Amino acid sequence: MTVRAAVVLAAGEGTRLRPLTRNRPKPMLPAADRPILEHVFDALISAGIERLHVVVGYKRDRVQDHFGPTYRNLPINYVHQDKQLGSGHALLQAREAVDDEDGFLVVNGDQVIERRMVADVLAAFEDDDASATLAVTEQADVSHYGGVVMDGERVTELVEKPDTDDYRLLNAGVYAFAPTIFDAIAETPRVQGELALTDTLVRLIEAEADTVDNDVAVRGVTTEGLWVDATYPWDLLDVSRELLLDARVTEPEREESVWVADSATVHDDATLQGPVVVGPDTEVRPGAVVGPFAALGRNATVGENAVVAESVLDTDARVGPNATLLDCVTGQGVSLGANSTVPGGPGDVRVDDRVFADQRLGAVLADRVTAEGSVNVAPGTLVGPNATLHTGVTVSENVTEYAEVFR
Amino acid sequence: MCGIIGCTGRAEDTLDVLLSGLEGLEYRGYDSAGVALANGSLEICKRQGELDRLQQAVGNSLRGPVGIGHTRWSTHGPPTDANAHPHTDCTGNVAVVHNGIIENYDELKAELHARGHEFESDTDTEVVPHLIEAALAEGASFEAAFREAVSRLEGSYALAAVTADTEAILATRHDSPLVLGVGDDAAYLASDVPAFLEYTDRVVYLEDDDFARLESGAWTVTDADGQLLDKSVSRVEWDAEETAKSGYDHYMLKEIHEQPRALRKCLRGRVDELTGSIQVDSLEGLSPSSVQFVACGTSYHAALYGAQTLRDAGIPAQAFLASEYATAPAPVGDDALVVGVTQSGETADTLSALREAQRRGVETLAMTNVVGSTATRECDRTLLIRAGPEIGVAATKTFSSQVVACNLLAATIADRGDSREIVEALRDLPGQVQELLDASRAESVAKRFVDSEGYFFIGRGHHHPVALEGALKMKEITYKHAEGFPAGELKHGPLALVTDQTPVFAVVTGDGEEATKTVGNVKEVEARDAPVVAVTDGASDASRYAEAVLEIPETHPQVAPVLANVQLQLVAYHVANELGRSIDKPRNLAKSVTVE
Repeated sequence: MTVRAAVVLAAGEGTRLRPLTRNRPKPMLPAADRPILEHVFDALISAGIERLHVVVGYKRDRVQDHFGPTYRNLPINYVHQDKQLGSGHALLQAREAVDDEDGFLVVNGDQVIERRMVADVLAAFEDDDASATLAVTEQADVSHYGGVVMDGERVTELVEKPDTDDYRLLNAGVYAFAPTIFDAIAETPRVQGELALTDTLVRLIEAEADTVDNDVAVRGVTTEGLWVDATYPWDLLDVSRELLLDARVTEPEREESVWVADSATVHDDATLQGPVVVGPDTEVRPGAVVGPFAALGRNATVGENAVVAESVLDTDARVGPNATLLDCVTGQGVSLGANSTVPGGPGDVRVDDRVFADQRLGAVLADRVTAEGSVNVAPGTLVGPNATLHTGVTVSENVTEYAEVFR
Repeated sequence: MCGIIGCTGRAEDTLDVLLSGLEGLEYRGYDSAGVALANGSLEICKRQGELDRLQQAVGNSLRGPVGIGHTRWSTHGPPTDANAHPHTDCTGNVAVVHNGIIENYDELKAELHARGHEFESDTDTEVVPHLIEAALAEGASFEAAFREAVSRLEGSYALAAVTADTEAILATRHDSPLVLGVGDDAAYLASDVPAFLEYTDRVVYLEDDDFARLESGAWTVTDADGQLLDKSVSRVEWDAEETAKSGYDHYMLKEIHEQPRALRKCLRGRVDELTGSIQVDSLEGLSPSSVQFVACGTSYHAALYGAQTLRDAGIPAQAFLASEYATAPAPVGDDALVVGVTQSGETADTLSALREAQRRGVETLAMTNVVGSTATRECDRTLLIRAGPEIGVAATKTFSSQVVACNLLAATIADRGDSREIVEALRDLPGQVQELLDASRAESVAKRFVDSEGYFFIGRGHHHPVALEGALKMKEITYKHAEGFPAGELKHGPLALVTDQTPVFAVVTGDGEEATKTVGNVKEVEARDAPVVAVTDGASDASRYAEAVLEIPETHPQVAPVLANVQLQLVAYHVANELGRSIDKPRNLAKSVTVE
């Protein structure tokens, strides 16, 4: 059997990444110079996938607008999930699209993976009896993910968000299935109205454990290779850092670890300190210092003598003269006036009622935040979409959507 | 009208290629379709209505090494099976497909009739196969007969013909587009590249009065005297798959959402904020003393905008409807420039107007979306708007890109050195369109006013073309009555039409004199109980008098029309969607109007 089809799950918002997900789903957030989902597509295509089915839901127009009908000449079939009722439910929406396949891949669209992980799962699935297969990878902290226990290649335990630290292996969210998975999902009882794909896998494991023969219900394939995920907004800094270190950037490399798009303009008197990537149509003005570990998206401007380091600036960012941005994540269309300063982490970040102490985060500035001149943002601050920080303001607490902050 | 496809060298696949080619041409609009395949005899199938009907009728039965196909949009005679192309002669051995209008067909038909030829359709096209038949009867070869027939025609045409007993397609064009597609062992022929893009991206553009012969997968092009021409093969970059809807219900909504991307492409490499300069290679050295725009439909509204923008920059400029200009051109001074604005580059009226300008020795510029189109080949200069393929018949993203291109043109011609402000505004524009799309309330406004009797649109200055375009979009896809007016004109007549059943969309941005005056006009209609929808950046108090507000981000006054127009595109789309209209292919309309 040869598997050539993949279902990519890209319908969920990724609520823990708010306020960055106000206008787009997590798969469309920036990972170095392009959206997370592009890295996922690249991994699939280089592993030989030829038919792409993408389940879209939350703010699906953003996925559709970015990729259009094709990616790297492969047609994309968009499947709609109108209500986000879990990963199993999302996969069920694609049933019609892949029911004629002998087998197909399923991957999360919101975690960066690489070719090897996909290839390992495909090889194991294709060589054998086509039982459900998933990629397993070793990570230091498994607590936000699915913990896996294996006996040989057999997965014996699958625990979502384990609260003990006995687990070292996690479910990487790369699966291969035969179409029989759809009946198994349909038979899985909903939990609070939702169908999680892992609930179905747990049922398969448990059902097999009750039988006498020794079949493998769910097989795990231990694989290495790059696997990075952002749980919280500040994780996007680590994601980009990893990708820059691994040179997973598409723009042309101007000198070592300095990638600059052909249509970008970098003034001769500006300094790029690698690793750094400068996106299409972006302008870097005289005296500016960008990098290390800076990713500038499309059509951004970094003003005269501004400093941007350890930061991810998304599409249409405007950084004024003499501004300083350290450890900063911005959404799209963010504008930071002259002399504004985000001095960088560590700082305590408050998300709802939880406080994450000493995170390396300067600030998260969501889509279209406008900071006028000489604004100061204290470490760990989250600023909501379309908020305006007026001249001379110092913000040290989270700012809500559309808020106007005066001195 | 409207689409031609032909192929040779595809053996058993001929029928499939023709049918998929016709699908690729669907977006141009059509009301009937047909195919003819030659394999010793001619097998023809044609049907009035959607392509599905043709596909059902034709089944899988037709075979032959060569074939031609056609989608028709009625000009002479109603849409019927008989009037659908291909048309044949009395013997049934010659089949012809045709785009354009044969102006002397009455005369030719009478002559042929007198010589005993029988006609089955009301079309102008049918004279062509009979003319070929007549020449064949006198012993001419197929090619000689085809040339003989073509020499009798007056008017505009792209023609392709097959006979029962040759394995060749003969084709020619005059004032109507036709391109060859070059495959590995196959050759294709079409009025438009998307018809064969699935099979090849190598194309040969035919010039007027070129003759093409496609046989056994090979092709040759000769001139009117039969001399072999050395034609260059070029590659087209458009991806066939881009014709798909990428998850949207309609191409129109997909194309509205593509505007941020399209605008980024239009601006790429042409603006530099650091130096405040705008540079377009193809416009280098251009410094006319006056400018005349010629255009039709939506492109005319972009032309009105362009003329005003040039006037603001101190350059005398006017916009003319191309169909009027072609027969009644305005006088031009020395060093004038005539700009033809046409999405397809094939709009017959605009091409006529441009030719009229060239006849008078005036420099011409084509502002178009289609590389290699007739307008780009005939004009002295080309300014590409780079919007990418637009399939929805109602133009959306191409209008926005045309408006941005007008700014590039105005800045280049006026050359006031530092254009920093406008460059900054243009660079911000794609993101602002995205912001608007993320938050637009157009759908709820559309639902609220879907049952209204009619819609009026008003705007002043740069927003006047937006008012006209907003009304045109509404007419085109909702089939409801809509008119746009300069805001100040309302009280000079149209106000009599305003009632509580006619919402008035008022486009007002900034808080300057124009805005103040338009707000005055808003009060006039509000006093007559008309519901007002303010399309505004919130700088004036227009929304105080409005029942609904469509917000746009604040920007440079010259760029605001693009944003206001996107809101109105969305309103028209959602009204049409509520009414269940055929949004991508509205009745009676074609994407690119290649007849005058």
